[in-house]
Amino acid sequence: MKKMIDQVGESMKTAGRWRNASKAAIAVSALTFVASCGRDAPQDTWQPAGPNAERIDNLQRPVFYVAGIVGVIVFAAVAWSMYRYRDRGQAIPEQTHGKPAVEIVLTVIPVLILLGVAIPTASTIFKLAETSDTEMTINVTGQQWWWEYDYPAVGSNIEQYGITAPIVTAGQLVIPENTKVLLRVTSRDVIHSYWIPKLNGKKDSVPGRVHLLRMEGSKPGIYAGQCTEFCGLSHAYMRMEAVVLARADYDKWVANQLEEYTVPEVGTDAAAGEALFIQQCSRCHQVNGLKNSDGSLNIAAPEQNLVSGAAPNLTNLMTRNTFAGASWDLLTPECRDNVWNASSADFGERYLAGVSTECLNQRDLREWLRNAPAKKPMYADPTKLTSTGGLYRGMPALGLTEDQINIIVAYLLERK
Amino acid sequence: MTIIDRPSTDVAVIGGAPTGVKPSEALGVFKRPAASTSWRDWVVTVDHKKLGIMYGVTAFFFFIVGGVEALLIRLQLISPDGKVLNADQYNQMFTMHATTMVFLFVMPMAAAFANYFVPLQIGARDVAFPRLNAFGFWCFLFGGLFLNSSWFLGGGADGGWFMYAPNSSTLFSPSHGIDFWTLGLQITGIASLTGAINLIVTVLNMRAPGMKMMRMPIFTWMVLVTQFLLLFAIPVITVALFLLTFQRSFDATFFDVASGADPLLWQHLFWIFGHPEVYIMILPSFGIISEVIPVFSKKPLFGYPIVAMSGAAIGFVGWGVWAHHMFASGLGPVSVTVFSMATMAIAVPTGVKIVNWVMTMWGGKLSFTVPMLFAIALVVQFTIGGLSGVTHAVAPSDTQQTDTYYIVAHFHYVLFGGAVFGLFSGFYYWWPKMFRRQLSEGLGKWNFWLMLIGMNLTFGPMHILGLQGQPRRMMVWTEARAGEGLFNFGFWNRVASIGSFVLGIGVLLFLVNVIYTHKSKKVAISPLDPWDARTLEWMTHNPPQEHNFDTIPTVGHLDEFFHRKYETDASTHSVKQVHSAEEVMAELNSHPDEHIHMPSRSYWPILLALSLPVIGYGLIYNRMLMAVGAALVLLTMFGWSMEPSTSPDEDFDPPAPGEGGGHTKELSPLG
Repeated sequence: MKKMIDQVGESMKTAGRWRNASKAAIAVSALTFVASCGRDAPQDTWQPAGPNAERIDNLQRPVFYVAGIVGVIVFAAVAWSMYRYRDRGQAIPEQTHGKPAVEIVLTVIPVLILLGVAIPTASTIFKLAETSDTEMTINVTGQQWWWEYDYPAVGSNIEQYGITAPIVTAGQLVIPENTKVLLRVTSRDVIHSYWIPKLNGKKDSVPGRVHLLRMEGSKPGIYAGQCTEFCGLSHAYMRMEAVVLARADYDKWVANQLEEYTVPEVGTDAAAGEALFIQQCSRCHQVNGLKNSDGSLNIAAPEQNLVSGAAPNLTNLMTRNTFAGASWDLLTPECRDNVWNASSADFGERYLAGVSTECLNQRDLREWLRNAPAKKPMYADPTKLTSTGGLYRGMPALGLTEDQINIIVAYLLERK
Repeated sequence: MTIIDRPSTDVAVIGGAPTGVKPSEALGVFKRPAASTSWRDWVVTVDHKKLGIMYGVTAFFFFIVGGVEALLIRLQLISPDGKVLNADQYNQMFTMHATTMVFLFVMPMAAAFANYFVPLQIGARDVAFPRLNAFGFWCFLFGGLFLNSSWFLGGGADGGWFMYAPNSSTLFSPSHGIDFWTLGLQITGIASLTGAINLIVTVLNMRAPGMKMMRMPIFTWMVLVTQFLLLFAIPVITVALFLLTFQRSFDATFFDVASGADPLLWQHLFWIFGHPEVYIMILPSFGIISEVIPVFSKKPLFGYPIVAMSGAAIGFVGWGVWAHHMFASGLGPVSVTVFSMATMAIAVPTGVKIVNWVMTMWGGKLSFTVPMLFAIALVVQFTIGGLSGVTHAVAPSDTQQTDTYYIVAHFHYVLFGGAVFGLFSGFYYWWPKMFRRQLSEGLGKWNFWLMLIGMNLTFGPMHILGLQGQPRRMMVWTEARAGEGLFNFGFWNRVASIGSFVLGIGVLLFLVNVIYTHKSKKVAISPLDPWDARTLEWMTHNPPQEHNFDTIPTVGHLDEFFHRKYETDASTHSVKQVHSAEEVMAELNSHPDEHIHMPSRSYWPILLALSLPVIGYGLIYNRMLMAVGAALVLLTMFGWSMEPSTSPDEDFDPPAPGEGGGHTKELSPLG
């Protein structure tokens, strides 16, 4: 008993010092933490911008705080015993083998904490899996190394959003604000994972399976994401963006996507580019409404040329801001910032402006057309092309001349 | 419960007495290798201590290989759009880094300690099956070399250590890297499986008289649990690897979606193995520090039965949490909820261990030697890893974290901050036992602090990177996703890369320490019991002779050695030393056991293990070579089975009828 009293007395003496030290420690760690959150990381998992991500955030924040507190208690106990019980020539301690009461209490406490975590976890899991109140459906298909979006002309897509014919795009998912959008996620080759951190957690896209993922954005803007399941050589270059538009802007976007194909004016670079596009690009890339010289509709056949059997639909390429798996911008840095940093009110207008001649990021697009695999790794070993039965893994180097690149760019600039 | 009691000697006697059988010399292709001190003895040895050292040296070699791979990865990521490695090389690098560290470093290093110390801790003369033990080591060595030979034969595996289908099929990975990977792991898997059976039998049957299960040192307990995990986990990965080999080499369609397969099959198989694997890596280190902390706190382990049973509980629950690696795989909310809850449940026995280590230190008399520092660092760092683990047991939260650097941070705190720090604690603690010299404490402190700082600089920032949204397995990161301000991706990636080199220097200092300790004339021979230890392995010479103990001790207590040195006053509970370690040993050895005989050396383990990579190369390059390898396997197995476990020309005293085996009981007839 006396020993215990001594111990308490001793700890009282040091307690003041410890209190100051722990205050300083808490202040330092809080500062470090605040400072460590780099501003505006586009994929920050702690900055939700939609109800699903908010649900996750509301669940995880308290867990992080409780884990932090538990951690501090354990570290304090370790630090205290290291300080208090260091060898100062004291007698060899009593050889106690444990105190059942202490052990039971210290087992029950974590059990209770975890129960407190488990219950909201379970309910959030089921809330996030809710699909019965879906307002819009989009098919999302991953393949090496880009995402395809197919807005099918079905049900509420037609009735509510005027999607009277399927819209097929790539790179950027475009959804209306405050709408319960259901993504039907699948893959054409290997497993990928769809992740827009500010809107929701990730969901794998698995060949042969369709997984459901709810996307809702509560504020117009552009939200970055990346494929998060290792999917081969260019996994690092498989990115995506989700664009949230106010309802009125969304209707404009849909109308624009469904517009008839505009034939380039005869004699322009773009017209020459169209002919070259048919010859060089349309084997894989679909442009809706494009006609061959004999007047027949041009239909791409990527399934005959590519391992994944699909290439991005380029019908309205210049309404998007990115290309090649959203890895490069179609906009120059200034024009890009203009869109990304727009306020919610201005965002729709700036996004819908698409890519103008002045804003086009000529450098990256031309490099891509010159030699795509040099920019984005697609062939670990080009000699191994035989292993795929002659199919390409991605866009090959086409050997275009600079003049040819000029006219292709001119043609593409009109795709909006 | 005979299994708990000291094993009956009858079993050993029945087989251990090949009295009637006169093994013919003509049966052996080779003359049986005899004792020798040259390098040849290391090739044919069946001594568990020599094999333990060989496991350790080989595993450390692979630790350096995996470390160089890690440093190349960090060099690539030190700045945006890194150019050190191309995409193909980067993908091979992170695949082989993980594979090497898991299968060729942490697991075999734990096996090194288990091999060396479990027989000593339970007072046995060797393991139950000494030749099988040698075979296991050679499988590990040749499997590891085979796996790494892929670097020189067209490149390493490039599908990630989890090797998800269908990215692992020949269509998406046409090089031979994955073939080397599947076959190499198959061979090292044999090492793990035979090792597991061997150690389980050893622990259950060969404990010294009086050493009940609940008197076993805690390290032995944790090794026992680990071996049961291996026994059940390795067959799962074996099956998965066979399916993949058949898919890649013989056009099978187990994971081919076009043929109706579901690629999630691979994920389930892999993680049913892969999650117990996590505990396979961490439990031996838990065992090591559960020895070290009591020794340097001068107190018994707090709640020994709870620590032992929580280890077993982890071993059981560990089988029911694999799908927490698959929360984003689309399992459906019911499965996700179940696995989320199970994962939280496993945090309880793990937390219990942390509480027990802290309570062991609490009220003790702590000396901060290097092994103790590594052990305390494990407690702290594993706590961080465990708590971040709880944040992704919360499945919705995990869907934000999985496949980001947050996970990389989490498991490196568990595996580097935990498992590897435990192994280093073990190096420093048991070095004088194994090599008669104590590693320099001065250099050891530098070693410790550089590793501690390096480890936290490397992996600490990865928590932030992951929460900021940097995915893992990316050959480059881009400014476009890095965020604004000083503390963006760029800053933390730079810190992590610098930290990794500090860590590398820290590890290098360990090698410097080893060389210094053994080359410098200033380092004296370690005393018999340098740490005032508590367990049986310290009750014999440094290093132990081939037969471990001159006299097998009879065990009356948990921490037997401590109880022979110290006496507790029943009324005041004060403890005082009554014997020195030397006195204890002198008393024990005053009546040395007679007729000690040890298992004989053999060529067969290394020959059989050598035949396995031949099949591997044959499968990849030439089917005829495969047939040659298979023939070699059959021949060496036949040769082995014809060889008696004990050479007839060695001293062997068959037990007299009715005598009950005498001192030969520790030896297995089956070897």
